[in-house]
Amino acid sequence: MTHDLPIIDELRLKFGTDYAQIEETRDGVPTISTDKASVLPLLRFLKQDAAQPYPMLFDMTAIDERNRRDRSMEASNEFTAVYQLFSFDRNQDLRIKVPLALDDLALPTVTSIWPSANWYEREVWDMFGIRFNGHPYLRRLLLPKSWDGHPLRKDHPARATEMEPFELTEEDEQTEQELLKFSPEEWGMQRSQDHLEYMFLNLGPAHTGTHGILRLVVQLAGEQIVDIVPDIGFHHRAAEKMGERQTWHTYIPYTDRIDYLGGVMNELPYLLAVERLAGIRVPVRAQVIRVMLAELFRIASHLVWYGTFAQDVGQLSPVFYMFTDRERVFRIIEAITGGRMHPGWFRIGGVAHDLPEGWDHLVREFLEYLPPRLNEYDTLVLGNQIFQARTKGVGCYTTQEAIDWGITGPGLRATGFSWDFRKTQPYSGYEQFDFEVPTAVNGDCYDRGLVRVEEMRQSLRIIGQCLEHMPEGPTKADHPLATPPDKARTLQDIETLIQHFLTVSWGPRIPAGEVMAKVEATKGCNAYYLISDGAPWPYRVRIRTPSFPHIQMVPSISKGHVLSDLLAILGSVDFVLADVDR
Amino acid sequence: MDHITPDERTDPRRIRLLEADGFHEAVRRAIVLARLQDLIAWGRKHSLWPFNFGLSCCYIEMATSLTSRYDIARFGSEVVRGSPREADVMVIAGTVFRKMAPIIKRLYDQMMEPRWVISMGSCANSGGMYDVYSVVQGVDRFLPVDVYVPGCPPAPHTLMEGLLLLQEAVGNERRPLSWVLGPDQIERPALPIRRDLARESRQRAQTFPGMNEVAWYSSPRQGPR
Repeated sequence: MTHDLPIIDELRLKFGTDYAQIEETRDGVPTISTDKASVLPLLRFLKQDAAQPYPMLFDMTAIDERNRRDRSMEASNEFTAVYQLFSFDRNQDLRIKVPLALDDLALPTVTSIWPSANWYEREVWDMFGIRFNGHPYLRRLLLPKSWDGHPLRKDHPARATEMEPFELTEEDEQTEQELLKFSPEEWGMQRSQDHLEYMFLNLGPAHTGTHGILRLVVQLAGEQIVDIVPDIGFHHRAAEKMGERQTWHTYIPYTDRIDYLGGVMNELPYLLAVERLAGIRVPVRAQVIRVMLAELFRIASHLVWYGTFAQDVGQLSPVFYMFTDRERVFRIIEAITGGRMHPGWFRIGGVAHDLPEGWDHLVREFLEYLPPRLNEYDTLVLGNQIFQARTKGVGCYTTQEAIDWGITGPGLRATGFSWDFRKTQPYSGYEQFDFEVPTAVNGDCYDRGLVRVEEMRQSLRIIGQCLEHMPEGPTKADHPLATPPDKARTLQDIETLIQHFLTVSWGPRIPAGEVMAKVEATKGCNAYYLISDGAPWPYRVRIRTPSFPHIQMVPSISKGHVLSDLLAILGSVDFVLADVDR
Repeated sequence: MDHITPDERTDPRRIRLLEADGFHEAVRRAIVLARLQDLIAWGRKHSLWPFNFGLSCCYIEMATSLTSRYDIARFGSEVVRGSPREADVMVIAGTVFRKMAPIIKRLYDQMMEPRWVISMGSCANSGGMYDVYSVVQGVDRFLPVDVYVPGCPPAPHTLMEGLLLLQEAVGNERRPLSWVLGPDQIERPALPIRRDLARESRQRAQTFPGMNEVAWYSSPRQGPR
């Protein structure tokens, strides 16, 4: 199927017929396997010279292939590097794979093509030990400097309880603190220039303005920011490694905790990917319930952002209003799912339970409640002159820069580019909803705020349509791999009982294959790239999160501003550390 | 009596005080006699200032407990301090990452005595869901914990229950008043395991709300919460 895509012909024309192999994948994303030597010219062509180019390095990762059971006999590579590109003109993904042998784990860096490749390559080095020749700073990104080994390799222990119990002696603490000391020379930074001595200010990881455990070392000339070195990985919870040992079903709660303000929104891309692998069609009612809850969580997440952003620039009262509204959202979430932040409520093939009686009253009440409040906040926050002075013209970037850095979501739309995956690549029935994609013009902190506020109103519209047109029917697909399976029929015959027992106790075996699914999450595009080799658990789980590239961009948009603007910029970016470090 | 405004004249508390006869009653109402130790413990108990420190998801719920609906200020704990030196209690709100552990330890060491630690959520209690290479299996591997709050994340009111338990402990704690007075060790009351205390009443429970109806406390029929 993918062999016929125009891009494949264009590449054949440019590079000859045997430049690469084309793989079939379950998600229909054209996948090309190429060698180390051609990766740089190929990627450069795709970004710069192709007719409708692939301007965004959507994601980059690697796979340790050594334990994979579904591989062909000819394949001899131990590792594979994977580049995921995205073309807005074609509205299409493209996957480039580069097989690598264990004794020669090296690739040329692509940081000259995409600035965003910097952190992706560092992460791959950290996790897999693949070198990138010519990389400006190839050091560990997520794990501490003192770490031994590369965790996403199959021979690295997964559990803490498989390793030596953690001890923290005085000496350990001293050593780690020494390693955390910042040395400007290490980063090619000067301590002074032309009689001007720079100040290096350490912000975080325990700092209230960084919205979590993020560390930024700021190079200052007086109050002015010269450069910033972010240090991430303090929140690395090993979600990808976790995926390799949890069953397909029991991994669902872990996804909630990736963007921990997004709740069930995180479950959606994971389940869309699993369901695509398994060939499950989700019933309409379950789809609409999913959309409704996901949009409620978008509002909850944006409310937290709204309050804390106002607080970041000095308004202390709005956060109390917005958290009160967030409780209104949780009132509905609690009534429907029983949980608050991490309901873990979607299931493979549907949702955990049908909506409880009385849910519609709650939702209707909320739909009446929030709009006047939002109008009030327009005056309270967005209309406030001090707020505007602190955010307008601060932290600007253009659409082109946004795409180069891999920015998605409100941060991209604030530059005037109307791109929302709910519209352009609809999933879970979004094509049937009537809503606008808000955009702004200047791409500054204020505009990013405007877009999010308008998004809440659009989410309310979507929820209203869910309420008015909630379809009847089942909430779980009638499919052998839907988990947990329907209990009713187990009492009829032994075969169904056995199947039920296996699926509940062991989990479903999802057919082998590779698949990626992405959604327009609260902070941007969240995607799960799953590889199954037919086992009851994934072979590899790759989570492409929006906050990771967004934080990587912060230094470049902060330069030249004063230090206090940095907090406005961080607030406007709206990130979650678990979404950065996973 | 001339200086009392009409409003004060109708204030029942004021009237009672005025009606009380004589000097002894006035003294009884105005003076508290207590042991210094008890008085200090009482003061500590009602002004546990938390350190503004969060690790992950739990911190959001900890922050929620400060906001209007929960309002931890009712228990004297709203004075969130940005510096560990001014804080009394450190809430380990979230996952204890190995990369973060030395920093948590350093921050704890910077807190002044007396200081307490609340371990909030399953991750901080034991590693919780995350038995994985980058996570310390419980903050008590390197910090003394006073109260463990279960949940993933614990709802704000659960954290507040933890705070009340800590307050109770702090109120009953006896610390030496100075290095030359009295015994030099801290006397801590035993904290019972809450699960054991609740077991009997839980076993007696007979009716359970089903999943088919909105729970009574969320029902619009109950009016606004």
